[in-house]
Amino acid sequence: MNLNDYEAIWKRQELPVGPGADLAALRGTFEKKRRKLAATLLIRDFLEVSAGAFVSGVFAYSWWHMGKEGWPMVFAIALILGISGFFVRERFRSHRLRLGPDVPLVAKVEADIAELRHQRHLLLNIWSWYLMPCGGAIVIGGATVVRVLIIKVQPEFFSALRQHPSALAWIIAYVVSVLPLCFWGVWALNRRAVRRQIEPRLEELEKLRQSLLA
Amino acid sequence: MSPPANHEATFQSWLEEHRGIFVKVARSFARGETGVGELQQEMMFQLWLSLPRYAGQAKPSTWIYRVCLNTAMTWRRGEQRRERRIEPEADLSRLAADAATPAETAGNKDLLEQLYSALQAMPPSERALVLLMLDGLAYRDIAEVTGMTENHVGVALTRARKHLAVLLKGVTDELE
Repeated sequence: MNLNDYEAIWKRQELPVGPGADLAALRGTFEKKRRKLAATLLIRDFLEVSAGAFVSGVFAYSWWHMGKEGWPMVFAIALILGISGFFVRERFRSHRLRLGPDVPLVAKVEADIAELRHQRHLLLNIWSWYLMPCGGAIVIGGATVVRVLIIKVQPEFFSALRQHPSALAWIIAYVVSVLPLCFWGVWALNRRAVRRQIEPRLEELEKLRQSLLA
Repeated sequence: MSPPANHEATFQSWLEEHRGIFVKVARSFARGETGVGELQQEMMFQLWLSLPRYAGQAKPSTWIYRVCLNTAMTWRRGEQRRERRIEPEADLSRLAADAATPAETAGNKDLLEQLYSALQAMPPSERALVLLMLDGLAYRDIAEVTGMTENHVGVALTRARKHLAVLLKGVTDELE
C-alpha cells in the first residue's frame, strides 16, 4: 500500500449528493444565527456607548444642579465622552479591517494576528486610554461636588466634619482606597484576559502562520 | 465570471456541486458525528455570509475551499480547547469512524478511516495542504487557496506527504 493508493481511495470515497439539507430550513437557521450575531454586536456597542452617555448625563445633571459653580464638570464630561468616542472609533476600525473567511489562509491568519496584537496592546495599556481618563473624570466630578457643597449647600455639615477629624479621615480613606481598588481590579482582569485568552490564541496563530510560510 | 445575481440560487448550486468539499473538510478537522455536523453547518453559514462579496474573482471551488478551511481552522481551535477539558485522550480512529458516511464500501472504509485519522493527527496547515492535494488541486490552485507561492506549496507539500506517510504506518510514499 502506498500513498497513491490512499489518494485513489480518497477520490473514490462516496459522498452525500445534493445540498444535504432542506434549503429553506438552512436559510432559517442562517438568518437566526445572523440575527443573533448582529444582536450581540449591537448590545455590546450599545452598552459601551450608553455607559458613557449615562455617566456624562449624570455629570451634566450635577452641573445643571450646581449652577455656574459646577463648570469644571465640563472636563469630566469631555473625558467620559472621549472614552466612548474611543470605543466607537475602535469598533469602526475593527469593522473596516476585518477580513471575511473567503481570503487566502495566510492573509486571514496574518490579519487575525494583527488584530490580536492590537487588542493585546489596548488591554495592556488600558490605564492610558480608559482608567486614567475615567479616574480623572471621577476625581474632577467628585472634587467639584465637594467644592460646591462646601461653598453653597451645606457649610454647617463641613464645619461639623472639621470638628470630627476621624470621621473625615474615614471618608477620605474610603474614597482613596475604593477607587484605586476598583481600577486595580479592572487592570488585573484585563491582564488576566491577555494572559489566558489572547496570548495562547496569538501563539497558536503565530505557529500556524509559521507553518504556512516556513 | 460575473458576480452571482441571485445569492440563494448560487448558494444552492454550489452546495449541490461542491458538497464533497464540506464533508471532507469537516471530517478532516472535526471529531465525532456531532462535531462534523456542526462544522459543516458553520462552513455553510460562513459561505452564505460571504456570498455577497463574491464577484467572480476566483473559481467557486477556490472560494469554497478558502471559506471552509478558514472556518475549520478557527472552529478547530475552539474545539481543541473544549476537548482538552472534556476528552483529553480521544481515540482518533474511533472518532473518525463515527463520522464515516454510511455509503462507504466496507473494503475502503478502513483505509479511508486510517487516512482521516492520519489527517487529524497532522498540524492544521499540513492538513489543509494534504486535503487540497488529495482533492487533486494543482499547485497553482493550492497557492490561490492558501496564499502561499507555488514554489512554497511544492516544498511544504513534499514535507506534508512525508509526514502523512509516517503517520500511515507501513505506507511508503512513491515520491521518496
